[in-house]
Amino acid sequence: MAKLTKSFHRALWAFHINSGSCNGCDIEIVAALTPRYDVERFGIKLVGSPRHADVLLVTGPVTRKMAKEVRRVYEQTPDPKVVIGVGVCGMSGCVFYESYNLVGPLSEIIPVDVWVPGCPARPEAIIQGVTKAWEKLESLRGKK
Amino acid sequence: MAEKSCTYSLPIGPIHPALHEPFLFQFQIDGERIKKVDLIGGKVHRGIEWMGMRRNPIQVIYVAERICGICSCSHAFTYCRAVEDAADIDVPERAQYIRAIIAELERMHSHLLWAGVAAHEIGFDSLLYYTWRAREGVMDLLELISGNRVNYGMLMIGGVRRDLSDETLSKIKDAMDRFDPVADKLIYLFLEDKTVKLRTQDVGILSFNDAIKLCALGPTARASGVRKDVRQDQPYCAYADLEIRAITPENFDKETVGDVYDKTLVRLLEVKQSIGIIKQCVDSLPSGDLLAEPKLVKILATLKKVNNEGLGRVEAPRGELVHWVRLQESTNLRAWKARSPTYNNVLPWQPMLIGEQIADIPIVAASTDPCFSCLDRAVVTKNGKSEIITGEELHRLSLEKTRRLKKWG
Amino acid sequence: MRPIKAEELLELMTKEFGDRITDSKITKRVEGKQKRENLHLSVTVDRESFKDVVRWLADVQYPLLSVISGWDAGDRVELLYEFQLNGGVLGKGLALTLRVGLPKDSLKIETICDIIPGAQIGEREKQEMLGVRVEGTPDPRRFFLPDDFPEGVYPWRKDESGVPESMIKKLWEAK
Repeated sequence: MAKLTKSFHRALWAFHINSGSCNGCDIEIVAALTPRYDVERFGIKLVGSPRHADVLLVTGPVTRKMAKEVRRVYEQTPDPKVVIGVGVCGMSGCVFYESYNLVGPLSEIIPVDVWVPGCPARPEAIIQGVTKAWEKLESLRGKK
Repeated sequence: MAEKSCTYSLPIGPIHPALHEPFLFQFQIDGERIKKVDLIGGKVHRGIEWMGMRRNPIQVIYVAERICGICSCSHAFTYCRAVEDAADIDVPERAQYIRAIIAELERMHSHLLWAGVAAHEIGFDSLLYYTWRAREGVMDLLELISGNRVNYGMLMIGGVRRDLSDETLSKIKDAMDRFDPVADKLIYLFLEDKTVKLRTQDVGILSFNDAIKLCALGPTARASGVRKDVRQDQPYCAYADLEIRAITPENFDKETVGDVYDKTLVRLLEVKQSIGIIKQCVDSLPSGDLLAEPKLVKILATLKKVNNEGLGRVEAPRGELVHWVRLQESTNLRAWKARSPTYNNVLPWQPMLIGEQIADIPIVAASTDPCFSCLDRAVVTKNGKSEIITGEELHRLSLEKTRRLKKWG
Repeated sequence: MRPIKAEELLELMTKEFGDRITDSKITKRVEGKQKRENLHLSVTVDRESFKDVVRWLADVQYPLLSVISGWDAGDRVELLYEFQLNGGVLGKGLALTLRVGLPKDSLKIETICDIIPGAQIGEREKQEMLGVRVEGTPDPRRFFLPDDFPEGVYPWRKDESGVPESMIKKLWEAK
């Protein structure tokens, strides 16, 4: 794993969107915040508004009704931002590989920087995904 | 001077910051009070039943498991029971007991998850962390048994896929013994705490009649005094030997009100009940086969000849879960209907929310344990102009109410 | 509340409705080590009598409506109203299915929301998924499908009004 740079002193705030997921990844995201994994000690926390977020955690294969909302949340998030697709169904559909009411994969709706595969992704995997996102965010900040 | 009444419309959702599905509430607000609620769902409609009609019965188990990540085993369980009903397959006794153990572990983790979320909604975050740490113990057991934390992949038509070794069984038993005092402590923390009482008593009441008329299910109905529990009414699998009784607030020597407090009470007592059931199942686990037919190809070949329909009913953590399948001499399912408990528990929100304050929306909405948690992005229309309230704002309102009540109480 | 037996309910029903009940069947499944029996009564009624039967049933014992399922059976659409009776009595629960066949040229049925308000979402779902018009349902809007979903497409139908191949999104395809 690459070393994080000095900007580690900055906390990382994440906003979570469920675009039609089964809740599996969603509870694992919350599990990552609770005492067993406790990512809050690194300053990572879930926030209630995309306008405060550095990172978007998107779960699910994107339903027809949610596509618009996902795009809107993406636009509301201030730059520089990084999108993490959590769960394999956002990547390729997984068991939801074909449907009349899905418009995914997620990468066709918004640009995705980090994928965390798994059905559902384990909390450890989500944490690793977030650190990858952190690296990317730092390089984006560096460019500014 | 005549009092001027003015209602605002207040949509809440569909995106909520923490967990669970998107769902849109459209409120009509008069001052702080809710006048009318309109419920707009379908944000996570993936067309699962339609997908199932294009796959073979064994493939559908894995789709069923992913209907909901919290009650994943319940969906697979119910679906398998529906297919077994259609094809008249008898499940070996050992498999019936293992199924019950998994289902009860799932109920424990689901109820603990809910209790944590409820604590968070009223601003009691230390209790959220305490509950979720306890929940990790259950998740460890599930991982030990199935190798997975969320989608266990344990169920198969005609039985279960993995056995429980003696070592695993003793570990389950030890864990349950350790868990008993933790559950007692949680019951004490939730039910005796002054703050929790202030925020949950007499809030979001669902009357007995409304619960019956609106077909409410599970803990939501039981908290209103409706003694409905599939494990009791039509006992299936190992529950047929265990004589389980539905839990209502009367079990705690408490008058039934049907408020959020009662719903919390029922769920926490059910965690205790589940511990007892798991211990009983482990003690009386029969020996024998795991599957009625171990060769999957043979199962599929048998199912291909069936022309019948089947109904499966299981008491999932949130209430009665029903799957209905139609097999018609073909490789794929002809028709499939899965009805989750939230489907019936959506309508009871209306009587529960009407007349409550905006600050109570999170806890009341969460009290039926929908796939739902914090709320986000509420738009208040004031004189035709829109104003954004975020989920945080709503959460803040909820916290302020807790503080205010504490001062007065 | 006195629990009602499957045979007893069927007898009462036949007495009340006579040959308006076109078919009936009692099936049982055994569970557990003790081989405890669970009963399931399945009754077929015609569309005209259906609401009367539900009204009558609500008087005999107010049931829990578990689900309204339905399927495309070729020349007709069949709706299955799954009820649960004797709730709250240990081991005495009885499953009851009311089956109604609707010919494809007249897909409509009366609402039962005035008797069982909890049927609302089930009825709305049957309208959007199977194209069955539920007459008098209090809220006929769509619930699951989006507003821009094309008219006349019903996902659970197996005929030409099912989901056309052009609407199916294949998520696994690489672009």
